[in-house]
Amino acid sequence: MRSMLSNRRPVHVALGTVVVLLCGATRVGGQTPQELQQELKAMKAQLQELQEKMKKQEELIEKLSAPQPTPAGAVRPAAAPAAAPDQEQLEKRVTENIIQKIQPSLAAANKTFPSQFNPAIGLIIDSVGSYKENERGNFEFRSAELGLSANIDPFARGYAIINGTNDGVEVEEAAIVTTSLPYNLTVKGGRFFADFGRLSKFHDHDLPFVNRPVVLDQYVGGESQADGVEASYLAPFQQYLTLTLGAYNKLGADNTRVDNTVPRDMSKFTYLARPATFFDLTDANSIDLGATYAYTPKVDTYTADNMEQIRNGKGRHLAGVDITYRYTPLSQASYRGLIWGTEVLYNREDWNDGTDTDPVFHRTDAWGMYSYVEARLTRRYYPGFLFDYAQDISRVQGDTKAYSPYFTIWASEFQRLRAQYTYFDAPANHESQFFLQWTAVLGSHVHGFRDR
Amino acid sequence: MTRSRILCLALGLMLVSRAIDAEEKIKVVTTIPDLADMTRNVGGDLVDVTSIATGVEDIHAVPMKPSFAVLLNRADVVVLLGLEAEHAFLPALLEAARNPRILRDGPGYIDASTFITPLEVPARIDRSLGDQHPMGNPHYNVDPVQGKAAARAIADGLSRNYPEHATIFKQNLDAYLAKLDAAIARWEAEAAPLKGKKLVSYHPDLIYFAERFGMEPAGTIEIRAGVDPTPSHIAELEERMRREKVDLVVRELHYPAGLAETVAQATGAKLVELPVMSGGSPETRDYISFIDYNVRTMLKAVAGGA
Repeated sequence: MRSMLSNRRPVHVALGTVVVLLCGATRVGGQTPQELQQELKAMKAQLQELQEKMKKQEELIEKLSAPQPTPAGAVRPAAAPAAAPDQEQLEKRVTENIIQKIQPSLAAANKTFPSQFNPAIGLIIDSVGSYKENERGNFEFRSAELGLSANIDPFARGYAIINGTNDGVEVEEAAIVTTSLPYNLTVKGGRFFADFGRLSKFHDHDLPFVNRPVVLDQYVGGESQADGVEASYLAPFQQYLTLTLGAYNKLGADNTRVDNTVPRDMSKFTYLARPATFFDLTDANSIDLGATYAYTPKVDTYTADNMEQIRNGKGRHLAGVDITYRYTPLSQASYRGLIWGTEVLYNREDWNDGTDTDPVFHRTDAWGMYSYVEARLTRRYYPGFLFDYAQDISRVQGDTKAYSPYFTIWASEFQRLRAQYTYFDAPANHESQFFLQWTAVLGSHVHGFRDR
Repeated sequence: MTRSRILCLALGLMLVSRAIDAEEKIKVVTTIPDLADMTRNVGGDLVDVTSIATGVEDIHAVPMKPSFAVLLNRADVVVLLGLEAEHAFLPALLEAARNPRILRDGPGYIDASTFITPLEVPARIDRSLGDQHPMGNPHYNVDPVQGKAAARAIADGLSRNYPEHATIFKQNLDAYLAKLDAAIARWEAEAAPLKGKKLVSYHPDLIYFAERFGMEPAGTIEIRAGVDPTPSHIAELEERMRREKVDLVVRELHYPAGLAETVAQATGAKLVELPVMSGGSPETRDYISFIDYNVRTMLKAVAGGA
């Protein structure tokens, strides 16, 4: 009898859970009484089904617990010491059996609650304390980034990144992504980080160092944020090969040269193409290789002093090549490794040295690059070094160089401290800069493929 | 004459193409080699199985290689350990693979944990308690009885996808379960000396193994699951281990050796090094030899061997 009670306990717990969840459901706001009534009805049916299952399980327990008939003539052992472990084993198996049987019903019951459909929510806090020789010190609250993501229906998923900074709150990304198109196709629409290069698609707090490389800031416009549409295709080969094509209002979150909010001629959109591939050199060594070309047929450019906007600008070509080498020993992947990443960008643009009424365009080519190497010494300690070089995009000023050793300490997967020194060498600014970054993740955190 | 030749050729081509079709195997991608071995046993000649992990990895840190996305793109079914064990790489790879058939809740998504009775289901979900798995400890593959449940889930999943082969899968499953049952009976008899032995592992990888063979988990080197230890945690752990007379320190082979050795030396506990998947060491070529190796290595350590 005692064993039967103990066997029933999980069932009672399960039943209790269902009842508690039922009660909880009535407190969910924003539902009509009809919806609640329907839900209650569904729950009742499930409860009834559960009770029937319990009844069957109890019958099974009784059957299994009943004394086995002793064959005539057989001698019943007086006190079998082996019987206790057998009984224990039997009880354990019956309990496991019951839990296995009711598990799907419980799971199904859980799924009926409206809050279960809420998207996964995560918040990332990023703050940086800095001291620069010329600008002096600053505690910079960089961002509080709220991430939401969920499947929309069987055909698409959606996500949004809402970013609060000192400048206000903005929707950094909000996009719909298809999940079930044929021919290895994926289409993305809304506001998102365009598939330009590698680190342009990283949010600031996800970068391996404190600041975005100068070349990405100047040429892409920081994060490769874009309002538009993008289609991506995975080639049906043994070799990994993807091709992305995109069309956007403009490229770059901080690219203020183009207005994001006004309708425009087709020639003023930015069009992008990017093939990317991957080579598994050995189990531990691999290379990612990509190339990107973004073309804007007509850019509304500004005069060289950035004051006056000139209509009917000429085209802009922005191209980049990115290569990432990874050493990840399989058996030590969580605490050993090395990554070397390099991107080279080239920009060709016609800039106006004249006026709006009397424009004088001259073609300008500029290039820049960054290269960094980061080692994984333990699960916690990641030292690295970043080199930055960029020609001024309009070639009015001189080049910028920066040298940045940095050291990242991961307290856990969800909290990180980073110290960085940068020697910044720009035409009108040669200085040492010190940074201390503290980043934390609250709630849901997804390991995305694009952030690898 | 020409027409009849063309007809014959077309018919021949049709027959050849049908024969090729018939020979095409079900492409299965599994996350770990244990599941690959079970799938081969259940699927027999009907399946062509590839595992993403080789067995030496930390299941929570399998590198997210684009070449795996290609594998998954061509897969008919994917078999995973489940209970969020593969959260660090599988969801992103499935997204990159663009194969709707094997997306979560798709027909080809076979979760081997369906019939598992999870241990360590957290009563409270809170990151201060470490990198929690809300549905319970996912390292059930180290327990052969749970392994049987996983094999059943695989057979179920394959039968759901290919009902025309369900009878074969059932027969193969029964044969495999009989093999496992025989091995389990042997392991349970052999493992009697492990009963009551206390162990500390680097990560809670061995909870199911301990439960099966009557061992007593006495903590982890990690301060919480997935969080590296602090010096004060190690000091407290060592003191507790001495007080509670912990017998064994287990280093799962994908964790660094130094700290586990130090803890073992400081407390007088025996250091045992174990793989947590088949393929994790040369002796563990399949699931049965993997469990066999772990039982024997534990027994050797308890008996005072290396």
